[in-house]
Amino acid sequence: MKEFEIFVGPQHVGATGNMMYHVWVDGDTVVKAETHVGYLHRAFEKLMERRSWLMNVALIPRICVPEPDVNEASYAMAVESLMNWDIPERAKYIRSIVLELARLSGHLLAISGYAGAIGLYTVPQWLIGDRDYLLDLFEQLTGGRVYHIFIFPGGVRWDLPDGFLRKLGKVLDYLESRLKLYDDLLFQNKVFFERAPDVGVIPKDKAIEWGVTGPNLRACGYAYDVRRVDPYAAYPDLDFEIPHYPKFGEFEVLGHGCDCYSRMVVRRLEIEQSIRILRQIIKKIPDGPHTLKLPNPIAWKVPAGYAYARVESSKGEFGYLVISDGGKVPYRVHVRGPSYTHGINVMEKIAPGLNIADFAPTAFSLDVCPPDIER
Amino acid sequence: MKAIEIFKELGIEYEEMKVKGNSTPRYRAKVEPDKLEEIIKKFKTQGFKHFVALSCVDWIKEGNMELIYHLFSYDTLEDVFLSIYLPRDEPKYKTLRHLFPQIETYEREVHEMFGVEFEGNDRLGEFILEDWNDMPPMRKDFDTVKYVKEKYESVPLVEGRGDKQ
Repeated sequence: MKEFEIFVGPQHVGATGNMMYHVWVDGDTVVKAETHVGYLHRAFEKLMERRSWLMNVALIPRICVPEPDVNEASYAMAVESLMNWDIPERAKYIRSIVLELARLSGHLLAISGYAGAIGLYTVPQWLIGDRDYLLDLFEQLTGGRVYHIFIFPGGVRWDLPDGFLRKLGKVLDYLESRLKLYDDLLFQNKVFFERAPDVGVIPKDKAIEWGVTGPNLRACGYAYDVRRVDPYAAYPDLDFEIPHYPKFGEFEVLGHGCDCYSRMVVRRLEIEQSIRILRQIIKKIPDGPHTLKLPNPIAWKVPAGYAYARVESSKGEFGYLVISDGGKVPYRVHVRGPSYTHGINVMEKIAPGLNIADFAPTAFSLDVCPPDIER
Repeated sequence: MKAIEIFKELGIEYEEMKVKGNSTPRYRAKVEPDKLEEIIKKFKTQGFKHFVALSCVDWIKEGNMELIYHLFSYDTLEDVFLSIYLPRDEPKYKTLRHLFPQIETYEREVHEMFGVEFEGNDRLGEFILEDWNDMPPMRKDFDTVKYVKEKYESVPLVEGRGDKQ
């Protein structure tokens, strides 16, 4: 049969953002795929070399729009490593609140995108609506709904506002009550059972070697989570499970892992775990200062050296390699985004053999966020 | 096998990086470019199977390009940063994409942004930038202001809007 070329993206319902997949198909079967990026390139890494250590905090959230806080947290931790700062306990707990809320928000968006790609359009409408309650919390806490610019080297910008934890508890109760509805709509839906298992399979023995991280790696059966393997913030004190294939609890194990089904069920189960973590934080959060006493922000000088900090984002390992030459600005910052491997290398390798109708769901199940590819 | 033991076995000097926030140890070592492949292979067989990233740093004063190969072990929970230095005026190295496939993408980016050649990588074409005709933009001597002035100040204003500018 004659081969055709199809461009999925950059403005396409089946692309996970401003990126493009160049797909060759033979009939309905994908023969080859190439990822093209560059639509969002703003040279963040170059800009960071021209801005002071503190000014960068306002710049970097833009590297990942759906989940900006992981950038602030990993950058702050890298700078703290160079400065040799130990931040107050309360700041660690507040950071964990922000990061878990961001994870919830990221997972709701990922599930929305996937459900839309398999034609279940009610799911995105409900989940995006529910996500707004999380954005309300962000607004109350930080003043911003999308970009928060809240975590910075030394702690967080300010303490929790009055009544925040009570409101957080209410939102968590609401979100938990909605999970049953999400299950009816998507996770117990026959369309999902038919279309997700054994689709878009990453070979299990290659997963780590290919640089797969986060929920995509856990869907392959590895219980690896940066919150456990390289703990940060308040996570060492918190009790949570790492959902991974085939430990799906009440969910049926369909397929053989590493597929769209496992990836989405892992995300669904992680929502429960995030709710559990946040409830523990509400009970355990200690009193005390929310930040260190900081030096004059204009005259900050960070000792020369190399530091790498990583956090677990809803997409995988998010890390910052920060290099200082002792000056007022970073000498070099390199951002390691999870989408860099998932969106390009992994997607190009697993796409051949897919039915064209499964291409978009597979791309969404990897939860690729193009801004962290280009930076 | 712990990273320290591997370093000792290979006779490589290393230093420990400062860590606050995260908790696993990180080691940094400078290695010879022609030995790097063997060293990465050794680490890979000893559990360092997660290739985290390849970063490039332009040390303009020293006249070097530093390539940092970053590995992580899920067994011993350690990070290893292996640095090689290439001459800045003609940075050339070989591809290591056969060790970890995602290195290919990192090499494409480093080639485009820093101008480092990787022999054996056939995908070093246009990646993020489009129609770029200047020096690689992440190099320290690339003057962003000058580039913008030359490139965009010559673009004529939209007719009728000139007075307002």
